[in-house]
Amino acid sequence: MLRGVRRGTAWAVLLSLTASLLAACGSGSDAGGDLTTEKVTLRFTWWGADDRHKRTQQVIEMFQRKHPNITVKGEFKEWNGYWDSLATTMAANDAPDIMQMDELYIASYAERGALLDLNEAGKHLDTSNFDKKALATGAIAGKQYGLPVGLGMYSIMVNLDLLEKYGIPVPDDTKWSWDDLRKVGEQVSKAGGGQVFGVQSPGINDAAGLSIRARQQGKAMFDADAKVVLPQEIARDYWQYILDLSKSGVTPPPSVSIEKASAGLNQSATATGTAAFGLWWNTQLTALTAASGAKLKLLRLPGETQGTAPGAYYKPSMFWSVSARSKYPAESAAFVSFLANDEEAAKVLLTERGVPANQKIREGIAGQLKDTDKAAKEYLDTVPVSDPPRITPNGASTLDTVLKRYTEDVLFGRTTPDAAAAGFIREVQSEVDAAR
Amino acid sequence: MSALDELRQLRRGGVQVRKSDNKAAFWFLAPWFAGLLLVTIGPVIASFALGFTKYNLIQPPRFIGFDNFARILSDSRLHNALRVTFTYVLVSVPLQLACALGVALLLNRGLRGLAFYRSAFYLPSLLGSSVAIAVLWTQVFGTDGLVNRVLGFFGVEGRGWISDPDTALSTLIVLNVWTFGSPMIIFLAGLRQIPEVYYEAAAIDGASRWSRFLRITLPLLSPILFFNLVLQIIHAFQSFTQAFVVSGGTGGPSDSTMFYTLYLYQQGFSRFDMGYASALAWFLLLIVAAFTAINFWAARYWVFYDD
Repeated sequence: MLRGVRRGTAWAVLLSLTASLLAACGSGSDAGGDLTTEKVTLRFTWWGADDRHKRTQQVIEMFQRKHPNITVKGEFKEWNGYWDSLATTMAANDAPDIMQMDELYIASYAERGALLDLNEAGKHLDTSNFDKKALATGAIAGKQYGLPVGLGMYSIMVNLDLLEKYGIPVPDDTKWSWDDLRKVGEQVSKAGGGQVFGVQSPGINDAAGLSIRARQQGKAMFDADAKVVLPQEIARDYWQYILDLSKSGVTPPPSVSIEKASAGLNQSATATGTAAFGLWWNTQLTALTAASGAKLKLLRLPGETQGTAPGAYYKPSMFWSVSARSKYPAESAAFVSFLANDEEAAKVLLTERGVPANQKIREGIAGQLKDTDKAAKEYLDTVPVSDPPRITPNGASTLDTVLKRYTEDVLFGRTTPDAAAAGFIREVQSEVDAAR
Repeated sequence: MSALDELRQLRRGGVQVRKSDNKAAFWFLAPWFAGLLLVTIGPVIASFALGFTKYNLIQPPRFIGFDNFARILSDSRLHNALRVTFTYVLVSVPLQLACALGVALLLNRGLRGLAFYRSAFYLPSLLGSSVAIAVLWTQVFGTDGLVNRVLGFFGVEGRGWISDPDTALSTLIVLNVWTFGSPMIIFLAGLRQIPEVYYEAAAIDGASRWSRFLRITLPLLSPILFFNLVLQIIHAFQSFTQAFVVSGGTGGPSDSTMFYTLYLYQQGFSRFDMGYASALAWFLLLIVAAFTAINFWAARYWVFYDD
């Protein structure tokens, strides 16, 4: 390609315009080769809140000290902007080398050929301390498109300070039901006098909430063939529940809930201390404790003992993936390996991205953990779970935005829970079909 | 040598000069032209071709005929997006032009410090479609925002204007109306062109201020009004940034701020359906072309050219 350009010297003007494009065809490495000794820059992108940015930046600096010729440029965003940005850079052939990937999107990207099979870079990426089952969560048809970072579980986070202030006892989470959550939420809202509410509205930023309801009744969102098998009654009951919470004032007014939900973790009702209960990942305890300045505690999900099976499961909180178009797959894999295996790095990252999936690391950091991290680990170690659901199929990565839209329609009385349930199922199915 | 020959000579000379000018002009234009080809015309042609394919940005496109265009007819979310966009265009453009004309008339009365006021009113036009202003808007109209503070002072209970589907679109309309500066400047220039003698004559005949406005100002300003109308309608159809930023890219709540362009963007970059997105882009071109054609047709009945 470079020779072709040299031949066309007359096109000097064009050359200057396309120089930046051609740079992409310059030297690079292949995944199985040796690490380069040239100066290279890797781009690494992740989503998250402030706490994560600080820790990650620290780890990047540690890696750069070990590999002085490799510069890692961090690009971080909030969850919502992250996926827009990733899709556009991917389309522009300008994707970062290393990405933080989510279960919701991994099939959509992998099945379009955007992600590197990490096995190709096995020479630089040590996965020996990962459990086979954990590794399998990032593999599709035998190809390792993502290395699981940590494990997380859904939990109900409760603000103990608020409950204490209002003299409301902490509910017994070993056998509480969704109804119990509503009742205790009502008490809080009553005491909160319009400033503090019982529950942060579900169904806006948490597609898994609906999945949990289905799992508690022995059902699932998708079957193995990526068909939507969610029973309509379960979806209807889910939205009816959300609507009841809203109408009875257990959750903040819909417009407030929606505004807070789109403003990110630090603006959420839990972080601002304006709701006593909220559905969150257990591993977000540290970040939310820091943001709210309140004493938070992890409670088990409601309804776990009333149904046929626990809805809770170990979810790979996220994956490390490498772009299939990265110029430096070997170096990128080495960086991923550092993130996943380095004990010093682990001491900085701790459980912020989930309780580490690397078992050696998990034991190694046990002594380092803060109280909130310990609580997150203990939650993971003790709460009963069932098998995880199938990976979100290709095309369904819009699942949570679709769910949010139907929740908004229900909350603002633009549709009924029944119609929302039917519409949601139909729409998700058509999204999956369209991606085939 | 006759005068005619002289003229010919001059013209011949003129042509020579123009030729070398042309050459220089070509070189000066070359970067722009290259840009036009590479980043505008190229993608435009590509998008036309992609409109007939299924293309997910990463794998090669697959030809599917008119499927994408057929889908336009049955896509109910798109129809909602069209309704939102039409509402936005048909409400905000007339309001914006009315504000622009009103302020231009005030400024045209030759008040002191005109340059300052003109700049002050023009400023929002420069900022209006920027991300910063859209972010500011979410703060101003947020639950704890300025609007609710002011309403609270008067004892009116506010709401989350942007996160309520009944009012979200209105906040965007207000934002667009607020950027009336650029049509205002054009109106102002137009008002300066109207000969003072018409007003003097009318005043002598005893015409009221209102009828002078109605019978002199409006007809003579109608070409300018027409120009602004065409331009602002096209501009409003293409609005994207405001809705994208204010709704966090979702077009929500409940698709109430789902502009056509935002829906198009989501199809392309959230659903990776670039084929459908391309078809939508060409459909939007047709809509805008149709509106512009209607405008030009209607102009024959109300636009008055003085010459």
